[in-house]
Amino acid sequence: MNGQITRNPKLAWREVDGEMVIISPEDSHVHELNETASLVWKHAEGKTLEELVEKISAEYEVARETARADLEELLAALGEKQLMFVSPEAKG
Amino acid sequence: MPLQISIGSVPLSLFIREGTLLEPASRRYREFTHNSENGFPVVLKKPEARTQEDGEFSYLLDDARLILRSQDAEFHGVRHEYALDSLLRILLTMVLLPQRGFLLHGATVVRDGRAYVFFGRSGAGKSTIASLSPKGSVLTDEISLLRYSNGCWQAHGTPFWGEFRAAGQNRLVPVAGLYSLKQAGEERVETLDERQALRALLPCVLFFANDKPAHETLLRTLLGLVEQIPCHRLHFRRNAEFWRVVAA
Repeated sequence: MNGQITRNPKLAWREVDGEMVIISPEDSHVHELNETASLVWKHAEGKTLEELVEKISAEYEVARETARADLEELLAALGEKQLMFVSPEAKG
Repeated sequence: MPLQISIGSVPLSLFIREGTLLEPASRRYREFTHNSENGFPVVLKKPEARTQEDGEFSYLLDDARLILRSQDAEFHGVRHEYALDSLLRILLTMVLLPQRGFLLHGATVVRDGRAYVFFGRSGAGKSTIASLSPKGSVLTDEISLLRYSNGCWQAHGTPFWGEFRAAGQNRLVPVAGLYSLKQAGEERVETLDERQALRALLPCVLFFANDKPAHETLLRTLLGLVEQIPCHRLHFRRNAEFWRVVAA
């Protein structure tokens, strides 16, 4: 899992008190992210998982392995809700 | 001659040919007639087969269609006043959006020169609130219109009342507070933070666009509102005691 992480470009969103409120324009469905997911939403765009692990583990002083496991789980959940995607790895 | 009306300070010129439609429309929007040469033209036409053009917004409601362009609008296939009313509401949501305005499922009541907006989905108690308020103090019992103008948020009267009654007052009043209705066994006001307020408001906003920029504008507008105007959840029984906690 080393592709680029991107937000679903179709979504409208706004940060309110440090947490994201996201609307899907097609069905007006509202998603709210908790603090951790909001951090990922803010910082993950265009990064790979490894780059994100680097940033989060340094900034929040958590072990890389812990950060990686948590981020993988979170990105999977965000992917399931069609909020964020991890693009397939580019073949060199 | 078009029927000239103004709702939420949006002047509209309705070009209605059919007398069977013009007469009830004139009656329904009587309080909102407005003499202006510059109303946004809305032309009622027979249904026609056409393809959507670039830059126009189109919305199909049953078999009536709204087509909105930058300079005018067309209503196709409107056969009764209910369809006309619905398309007008949709049109207003689109015209108000870039002007920091929107329509909300809510009753607006004026007290001491300030507007209290009680919002909720159908069955929440909007018409109960209106019926428990003094005659002449209700700007609408069903669809509220909020708009930022002259440096503050104002509630405008609307002709959109429950059970299709012709009523309303065409005036605007500064907003004192927003109240999400919740029927309960007591009267109590609970203050909502900005996120809770946004969450309460969003499902009650009338909104028909399905594109990202429109939703971004809506979010920006609603956030601007809840940053300036206190928003609460009003727990209330169906009696006039609620004013005790609202205007406290």
